Parts: sequence; C-alpha cells; structure tokens
Amino acid sequence: MVDESHKLLEVEKLKVGYKVYEGLLNVLNDVSFYVLNGEKIGIIGESACGKTTTMKAIMGILAGNAILMGGRILYKGSDLLTTSKKKVISLRRKNISMVFQDPSTALNPVFKIRQQMYDTVRYSSERKLEKSEIHELSVRYLLEAALPEPERILDSYPFELSGGMKQRVNIAMALVSANDLLIADEPGTALDVTLEDQIMRLLKSIVDKKHISIILISHALGTVRGFVDRVYVMYAGTIVESGPTKEIFSNPRHPYTRMLIDSVPKLAGGGVPEGIPGVVPSYLNPPTGCRFVTRCPYKMDICNNATPDMYEVDNEHYVACYLYEKGR
Amino acid sequence: MKDTTTLLEVNSIKKYFRTRKGVIKAVDDINFQIEKGEILGLVGESGSGKTTVGNMIMGIFLPTSGEMKYKGENLFMLANKRPKWLKKDIQLVFQNPASSLNPKRTVRQILEVPISVHRPDAPMGRTIHELMNAVDLPSDYVERYPEELGGGEKQLVAIARALATEPSFIILDEPTSALDVSVQGKIINILMKLRRELGLSYLFITHNLSLMSNVADRVAIMYLGKLKEVARTGEFFKNPLHPYTQMLLSSIPVITDEEELLKPQKIKAIGEIAGALNLPKGCSFHPRCPFVMDICNTVDPQLAEVTPGHLCSCHLYSSKSDQISDQKLTSE
Repeated sequence: MVDESHKLLEVEKLKVGYKVYEGLLNVLNDVSFYVLNGEKIGIIGESACGKTTTMKAIMGILAGNAILMGGRILYKGSDLLTTSKKKVISLRRKNISMVFQDPSTALNPVFKIRQQMYDTVRYSSERKLEKSEIHELSVRYLLEAALPEPERILDSYPFELSGGMKQRVNIAMALVSANDLLIADEPGTALDVTLEDQIMRLLKSIVDKKHISIILISHALGTVRGFVDRVYVMYAGTIVESGPTKEIFSNPRHPYTRMLIDSVPKLAGGGVPEGIPGVVPSYLNPPTGCRFVTRCPYKMDICNNATPDMYEVDNEHYVACYLYEKGR
Repeated sequence: MKDTTTLLEVNSIKKYFRTRKGVIKAVDDINFQIEKGEILGLVGESGSGKTTVGNMIMGIFLPTSGEMKYKGENLFMLANKRPKWLKKDIQLVFQNPASSLNPKRTVRQILEVPISVHRPDAPMGRTIHELMNAVDLPSDYVERYPEELGGGEKQLVAIARALATEPSFIILDEPTSALDVSVQGKIINILMKLRRELGLSYLFITHNLSLMSNVADRVAIMYLGKLKEVARTGEFFKNPLHPYTQMLLSSIPVITDEEELLKPQKIKAIGEIAGALNLPKGCSFHPRCPFVMDICNTVDPQLAEVTPGHLCSCHLYSSKSDQISDQKLTSE
C-alpha cells in the first residue's frame, strides 16, 4: 500500500464537462490518480482523451465553458477546488508549474525574454526582490535549463530563438515556480526527434536533482517509457490502467493499452500493425458503461451497462476492465 | 536496362530561395533515383528541405538548377507547363488532411474533379465507388463533408483523390504525422496494399524512422538541403554510417527492450539544426558532430558509395572507403 503521507497530489473521481452549443460534453469521468513526493508519473492516451483537461483542472486554468461536476484535487491534503482563488494563484507561482506543448505559443511574442523571465521570478518570490537579485536568479534558471548564453537569451524576442531554445526558456520559467510539482504537457512533441531527446534528458536531470515530482503527458509511448516511474493510461476521459512503467509496457492488460502499444511501428521492423479500429466516442453522448466498449474486441454484455472498477491484477498494477474482475 | 526500371531520376537539383536577408539553400545538389514499385523514405528533421524536394517533383516550383527525369522524359518544368499525362501520373498527398480537403465540398465533389479531368470516359458513379472501396471507406461517406469525418478518414479521402487519376507515382508528404498512432496503422497498411495491387511507387517524406524501418525499401537521410546517407532499409538500420544517422537513431524513443538494443549507444544528441541562412562552412553537420575533424570545417564531403548500394557523405569514410568495403567483403 502507498503511504498516504507521501502523496503530494491526489486527484479523486474528477468529473469535468464542457458546455457547448450542442449540449454538454461529458469529458472527464471519475479520473483518479496520485503523485508521490519526487515521483515521475506519465499519462498516455490518444488525442482528445482528456489528458490536458485534467492538467488544466489541477492548475486551475480550465476554459470558461468548463464545468466541474465533482471530485477532489488534494494537494498536500487540501482540496484545490475549494481553496480560494488567491491561494491557487499563489500555488501556481511557487509550487506547481506547467510546460506546454508548443514552445512558440507559450511565450508572449511582443516582449523580450528578459521582461517575461523577470516577471516570473518577481512574482514567484516570497518577498520583494532587488533588481539585481531578479537578474541573478533569471540567469541561474536559464543556465539550469542548459542555455549557455543567458544574457543573449534575455535580450531576445521569442521569434529570434530556435524551437529548442524556446522550449528551454519555457522550462526555465516553469522551474522558477515548480518547487514541488512540474506538469509537462507533451514537452517534446512539437520538436524534432534529436531535440526532443535532449529536452527530455534535460528535464529528467533537473527533476532528479531538485527532487521535484513530475507529471508527463504524452501520446508518444516511447518518450513516456524512457522517463517515468509509473504510468496511467487514459481513454475517453477515464483512467483504464495504471502501474509501474516496466509492467505496463511488458505486460499490458487492458485491451486498449495492449492495442495502443501494438499499434506503434517498431524500429526492429516486422510490418506496420493494424492499429485500433473505430474512433474515440463523442463526449456529447458517451457510452454509459465502459467507454472503450465501442472499439473493444473482448466486450461482454456487462460492459454496455456498468463501469468497471480498477481491479488489482498485480502489485500496484490496476486495470479497469471486467475481464479482470475477481472470480471471472 | 536502366531505362526500364528507373521511374524517377533526380540529378544535382538545387533550390535556392532569395530572401531579403540572403540566399537560403533549401536543397543543395542532391541526386537520387526511384525504381518502379519502390518506396524511398526521405527522412529529415524540420528545415532539412525534404518537402521542397517533393514540391519540385510536383512542379509547384522550379529548381534553381539541375535535371529531373520521369520515365525518361524531362520533368524540369512547372506543373502548368507539364503535359497532361505527367500530371496524371504523379500525385501528392499532404500532411494535414484537414487543410488539404476543401471544407465546402462533399467527398463526392472532391473525387469528381480529378476523374473528370484525367479520365473523362470513366463512369463517374462506379469509379467513385471503386475508389472508396480501394481506401476501405464506406460508400455512403461520399455525401459527407470533410468536417464530418475523423482525421484518419479525411486522410483516406485525400489518398482516394490522389488515386483518382490512376497515377503510378505518389509523393506522400508526412501522411500520418498529424494522426494518432492508433489510426496510423490503417493508413499505412492501405498504402502498402495499394502499392502491391496497383504497382505504385512512393516517395515517402517523413521524420519517423521507426515507420520507415517497416515500410521503405530504401531510406535517404537529408540534413540542411543535402543527402547524408542513402541505403537499403535492412542495411541502413543494421549498419548506420553517418554520425547524424546514428544520432537520429539513438534519439528515437522506443517501447521494447529489443528495440533499445538496435539504437547506437555511443552517441548522444547535441545541438540543433542550423539556420538555413547561415549554413556552417564545410560539412553542415560538423557543429553537432562528435567525430569532427579539421577537414570537416573546410571541405564539404561528397555523397560516395561506402559499400555497394550504401552511400554516405562523411569524411570518416571518404578516405577509408576502400578499406572498409574490403573489410565488409571478408567478414561476410
């Protein structure tokens, strides 16, 4: 069993929807997971599975048409959904931070990096900082993000920097306020493979050194495999499987996880697998039982009507599928 | 003999773009051939010039210099100057189906245009039905608009549109990069089935080496407008020569231990692709290369055959190429 006191963040039965013209998009359905102190977890799944929505809910930056329909987000024991907005902002400035997917849209194009970096440092500090201190700290964070010429970077506009440098600036800014938890939403997806590799290695060395917890969101299974301790597999707004990384990749149980892992073309060759037939169901009218039922080759009658619990199939390895229900 | 099997021949083509800040050498003197029925994977990072190559073959713009031949005929002209059979024979599938399909036209209307232009005698209804069949889409989708289709289905419509002219050569410009991995498999398998059944050739432009390992007959690596390595797929992944290729391979995130063993271990990715305006002198890869030598700063290596059919442009092999091929022969 996991020691409750080591849990930094715990999401419990989170339900989030979006109000749109056609009605209510029922996106997150009872999403639960936790992050321990200093732990690296990964959330994988196809696009439009609610990965980013979950993270936005944690950060308190959901879009205006989003509706919280239940659940709790416990951060060090207190529920972020009921704490005051002021407190959440303060957390974002000092404890939790996020690196976004596209480095070019995450920076303001009309301000130099200097201004953006200084502001981040200024507002994340407990006390009022001297100008020289702000500068010193900014330089230190940029160096930490492996940017060798911090002065030149500070004097640049985002468009003067390459994609990899921009993402490093984003990481530097996120580090300023990520004293406990860093959320990385596809940090390397918009970059080339040699750059992604460098960014991921950089992130790993930083979070290991500073003992920060990290949530890595990605649809690139290989990236997650090489990075995290524990993996959650997300499908259509639900967590369908969770477990230690090695276990998930070598012994996946949920039909979705198995099909997802199978559909990745292997470097070793051997042909391209068929992939998963069908599409992620519409959130306007999602299946009432297991949400994977529309694409599942093993579906049973019960799957249409009831949502499976997370069944423990191995040590710390949980699967939300009736195939693994005890006694079946 | 060559004429009967070579479909496309590209000889020292260059494309320089003149900008206010200077000349961008997007494609700088590259050579390759595609045989009939072959899939050539053209792999490179963004900014390496691979899409520019595809656009020149399509005639979207003219190369600055060089020679392009298709089935022995001159291809060095813009699309609007090309004879009709050339336009019919070479087709292109773009990366993002959401922007390459007209949102105001139904699938039927999208498919009708190329058929009526290039195959005026074909019975329209039946031909469209056959096309939808070929890409494994239900026939009743023809009355739908692109926005009513999923990403993978849209790309299948784009493929059907390319097939509508009965081409023998299709340029696939990152056809699955915008799609989820779960739908990628279906698209690729349909493309492979079509090649088998219709004897098509593909120029497969991509940045995904794992995919190429499963799909391509030959792989060409492009970096800053130049080809760095060309080899048959098996040889390419077993015995990558160029340091850049090794860096690419070592950076690929993989999902099994078996694949991990295939990655070159000694080399780690460093640096970033240089700006096309200020190309490094000598070998364009030398600022990132862990094996850089003095000569690399000044002399640009030429693409040369290291072992039969395996071309590489790197000074590590140029002087010793004879020696290496001898070694290979004795070891095999």
